[in-house]
Amino acid sequence: MEKKLERIKRSIWVFHLNTGSCNACDIEILDALTPYHDAERFGVKLVGSPRHADVLLLTGPITLESLPKVINAIEATPRPRFIIALGSCGSGGGIWHDTYSTIGGVNSLVKILKERGVEVDGVYYVPGCPIRPEALLYAVALIRGLVEKKAKSMVATVE
Amino acid sequence: MSFVKKIIKPVEVLVVASKTGRVTIKYPFEEPWISPEFRGKIEIDPTKCIGCGACVNACPPNALEMIESEDKKTLRYFVGRCIFCWRCIDVCPVGAIKGTRNFELATNDPLDLYDYIVHNRVKCRECGKVTGETTRMLKYVLEKAFVTENYNNKCPDCRKKIFINAISMRRTGPVGEKT
Ligand code: SF4
Ligand code: SF4
Ligand code: SF4
Repeated sequence: MEKKLERIKRSIWVFHLNTGSCNACDIEILDALTPYHDAERFGVKLVGSPRHADVLLLTGPITLESLPKVINAIEATPRPRFIIALGSCGSGGGIWHDTYSTIGGVNSLVKILKERGVEVDGVYYVPGCPIRPEALLYAVALIRGLVEKKAKSMVATVE
Repeated sequence: MSFVKKIIKPVEVLVVASKTGRVTIKYPFEEPWISPEFRGKIEIDPTKCIGCGACVNACPPNALEMIESEDKKTLRYFVGRCIFCWRCIDVCPVGAIKGTRNFELATNDPLDLYDYIVHNRVKCRECGKVTGETTRMLKYVLEKAFVTENYNNKCPDCRKKIFINAISMRRTGPVGEKT
């Protein structure tokens, strides 16, 4: 994945892909782009078409209604393409993970994409409900290699 | 008039900007400002957790799940689905869950998002069958409530047998004996 990331030498252009979120995460994305947090420090630019984007900012648990459009948007993104799954909805389905009308987060989406032969070069997960704008800045800094990864799995066995 | 305004406008903006100064925060190169009320990732203390499953029942998005196997009970915390409501903290009977202000959870590996606490399940003292509780939970219950020596640490079937035996002994003598 690092090798593919190196190919994005220039700034990361992002396309904001709402797949049925409650709009709180979307507002936080806009927050991260305001002069106060200023994601453009890292070269993040919001573009209007997936054809211009390197990274898709995916919010929401991917409703069945939005699924075909999401797949279209991902297919339209040039390689190497990355997904940042935002919020607990994007990264795990959130409170909608087992409802009838969603597919429950980016993991099921990646599975569906694989079946259709659409490749994604990397998925980043940003938990939070909604995410803090700083959490998005942290994720972007992680992609650019500016900060260390802090998330770590814990396995504890009780005697 | 409008021409003059057009020229003056940038100058006005410059004046305002120099008065306000820089507003952009330096994060991630400085400590973020987090309000004291902010709710972040939870941390489960494996030395305290008794595996009762109260938090699993309270968790709205099933971020906490109890995975049961033959002789183990595993409490799994999937932070990718957690909505940081901290309901689990309120219901935990032993205060094993602690809320943190940690929000820097971004990762490219989904396995980083899972925490596990593996508990052992107790075996029935009578027949050796595995019962539902964890060893810690049984200890906790025995400390809180008095259970006769006869009944603790036994599976429901054996308990039923002992109970019926005890009653029949008291009234009519041992089961199966004709009087
Ligand atoms: S993660 Fe929470 S805030 Fe974000 S879209 Fe889902 S429900 Fe809304
Ligand atoms: S904070 Fe809420 S969503 Fe997260 S594990 Fe606890 S109960 Fe579940
Ligand atoms: S409620 Fe507390 S003691 Fe019970 S399983 Fe959850 S963390 Fe462990």
